Order: sequence, then structure tokens, then C-alpha cells
Amino acid sequence: MINSIIRFGLIFILLILLQVLLFNNIQFSGYVNPYIYLMFIMLLPVEIPAWLLLLLSFLTGAIIDFFSGSPGMHSSATVLAGFVRPYVLNLISPRDGYEPNSDPSMIIYGFRWFLIYTIVIVLVHHTALFYLEVFRFTDFLRTFGRVILSSAFSIAFILLIEFYRKGK
Amino acid sequence: MRSLLNFLARYNNLIIFLILEGFSIYFLATRNSYHNTRVMFGIRGLTHSIEMKVSNMRSYMSLKHVNEALALENIALKNRIEQLVKTDNSSFISVSDSVYQQQYIHTSATVIDNSINKQKNFFTINKGREQGVAVDMAVTSGYGVSGVIVSCSENYSLAMSVLNLDFRLSARLKSNGYYGSLNWDGANYRKAVLSEIPQHVPVNVGDTVETTGYSAVFPEGIMVGTVSDFEKVGGDFYKITITLATDFKKLHFVDIIGNMKKSEQLELQNLFQ
Repeated sequence: MINSIIRFGLIFILLILLQVLLFNNIQFSGYVNPYIYLMFIMLLPVEIPAWLLLLLSFLTGAIIDFFSGSPGMHSSATVLAGFVRPYVLNLISPRDGYEPNSDPSMIIYGFRWFLIYTIVIVLVHHTALFYLEVFRFTDFLRTFGRVILSSAFSIAFILLIEFYRKGK
Repeated sequence: MRSLLNFLARYNNLIIFLILEGFSIYFLATRNSYHNTRVMFGIRGLTHSIEMKVSNMRSYMSLKHVNEALALENIALKNRIEQLVKTDNSSFISVSDSVYQQQYIHTSATVIDNSINKQKNFFTINKGREQGVAVDMAVTSGYGVSGVIVSCSENYSLAMSVLNLDFRLSARLKSNGYYGSLNWDGANYRKAVLSEIPQHVPVNVGDTVETTGYSAVFPEGIMVGTVSDFEKVGGDFYKITITLATDFKKLHFVDIIGNMKKSEQLELQNLFQ
């Protein structure tokens, strides 16, 4: 218990630092900004109680909001991602269910499973985030373009980090 | 009572979700407007030291480009001095009373935090109230217009970038003096839109667009950008797309311009409104 709290605490700090110091500064042409901090919500144990997951989502989003000066934007998108996560896990559960006390990681459930999981969660989060940012539906297609492009980069980076974790 | 408890127990996750989401949306709606940037700035104080380090690192990496820009600006300024000296020599009276003559004061500053990828972009600069910066001062780079100060703390200021959906600027075509309203459409960080120019006005691709000085924020005749495209919209007006002179991706050294006679001008204008 204590062990996993420390482990996730470290993952949390590492991802936030990566996001704030590195990824928030990547600004290709105003269309691409990857948000990899979302990975923290994805990596929490499968059996985590839903209320704790929601609170942690809110906390993560709020901290990112602090650093990017956009109160409420990241927290609402991340809370939404935290809310749909149990349903997504249910939908794509492996044939013989999840192993007890396991994390949703690539090592245990394989690349294909993790890819689908990442795509769904990232798309939900980014769609909410970018539409909340513009806060209107005129220019629907351009915002949609930003969602798709940024999602592609976020997914790529998240997979890369996950591969690195697997390699260790 | 029992059924209420049952209801709460059954939907507790949905309820937590709705409460947290409600909080977030409330913050989003109330804390992001133009005037509430002051509140936001208070929170930002916490993250400044980190941003400062990142900015220092980045400024070291871009020294070469900065030097080139400064050299260009130096040349322009030298030319300007040359012109001024000539006129002074040819006249007999030299007015040295700066209080009545000088209208604008300049201060230089460094950008320590900047973004171009949002719909409402702001940048932070390393001078504040202590150094004489005040709200509504103009910010320009060596190339052209970059923003307006919206909030100041002791040693830092927050400026609204041209790349902000709320930014408005009165700008004119240098060639014929017709003026319109400039704003950003949120699409491309190099382009902005100049509207309200009537269709009988001759417009050419490449024309220079500069500030008018009507708003009492920007001095007259500061470079904004060049016309890159124009089309007719509606019955009467052009929609002119402008390539901004300032490249916000490498915004680093900026000039802050304060108008010493602004209150006088505004007072007079308000008398008749």
C-alpha cells in the first residue's frame, strides 16, 4: 500500500515536471501541443475506487492549470477522462478479465490493448480540452483539427514513455 | 430517507463527477476573462521562479538571433538619430524642456513566459510596478507591435499578446491613411485580420500597416505588419489578412511604451461622450 503510494507519487511528480518544463514549451505552429500528464490517470491501478480516481484527476488537472494559467480548463477535461476511465476499462477488458491488483500497463495486457486504451482516453480528454478552450462551436473543423493533431502526438509520446517503462 | 440514501450510494460517483466538473467549469467561466487576469496573476507568482529558469536557458540558446535583431534595431535607431540631428542643426531654437515635449517613455524588458498555441495568449515580462510599468502601456518588439500590459505586480507584468481573441488595435494603411480595426482570428500565429477598410480604398499585397495612435496606448506609426491577402466581404468592406511583423515564437526583448499624456487625452475625450 505505502509502496504503491510512493511509486505513484513519483510517477505523478515526474509526469507533471515533464509536462510543465518540456511539453508545455513545444509549440509547433499553434496546432500541436501534446499533453502527456494524462498518463498518470491512465496508469492508476485497475481497482482504484472511482471517487479517488476522480479526486486525483481533479488534482492533476488543477496543478497543470496552475502552471499554464488557465483555471478550470485542464481540471474539467481531466475529471471527464477520470470519469470515463472505468467504463473504457470495462469495454475493452481482456477475455479472462483483469488480474487482481494490477496496473493497466503494456507489460501485462500487451501493446494492442494499451494502444486502444490510450487512443480512447486521450481523444476524450483532448476533445473536451480544446472545445473548452475556444468555448464556442464556430470554427468547429479547425478545433477538430487541433484535437486530432495534438492527440496523435500525445498518443505517440505516451506510447514512447510506456515502452521505456517496459524496457526497464 | 432510506431511498434517498440508496440513491446517493448508487450514484455517488456520478455525483462526485458532477460536483468536480461544476467547480472546474465555474473556474473556467469566471477566472479567465480579461479583467480577472489580475486574480490569475496572483496564482502565477508561485510558478514564476521555475519559468524564470526555463526562460534563462532559452534566452541563452537564442542569443545569436537576438544579436542579429539588436544589430538591425541599432541601425534603424542610428538612422533616426541622424535625421533628428540634422533638423536640430538647421533650426535656431532648440527646445530642451523634456517635460512639455516628451510624450512617450520607453523601457526595455525581457519576456520570461510566452505562448502562441492557445486562443487567448498572454506573455509575462520581467519588469513591474517598481520599474514604472503600469496597466495599459504598449509593448512592442524590435519588429513591431506585440501587446498591451493588462496586469502588474511588483517586479513582473502580464501582457495580452496580439495573439488573443480579445485584443483590438486601431491600425491604418501607411500608403493612404485609411484606418480599421485589427484583431486575431485564432488560426495562424503569423497572421491577423484588418477589417472595416472600405472597398473604394486601393489596397495592394505588401502594403505596410501601422498603428494610428487614436487609442492613446500605442504611439502613432509603429509597424504592425504587411498586407498578405485581401478579399471583399459583405457589401462595403475588405477583410485584409496581415502578416504580423513580430514573430511571437521568438519574442524575447521587448520595449514598453508609456504615454505620459494619456490621462489628459482620455479626460478630454470623455467630456464629450
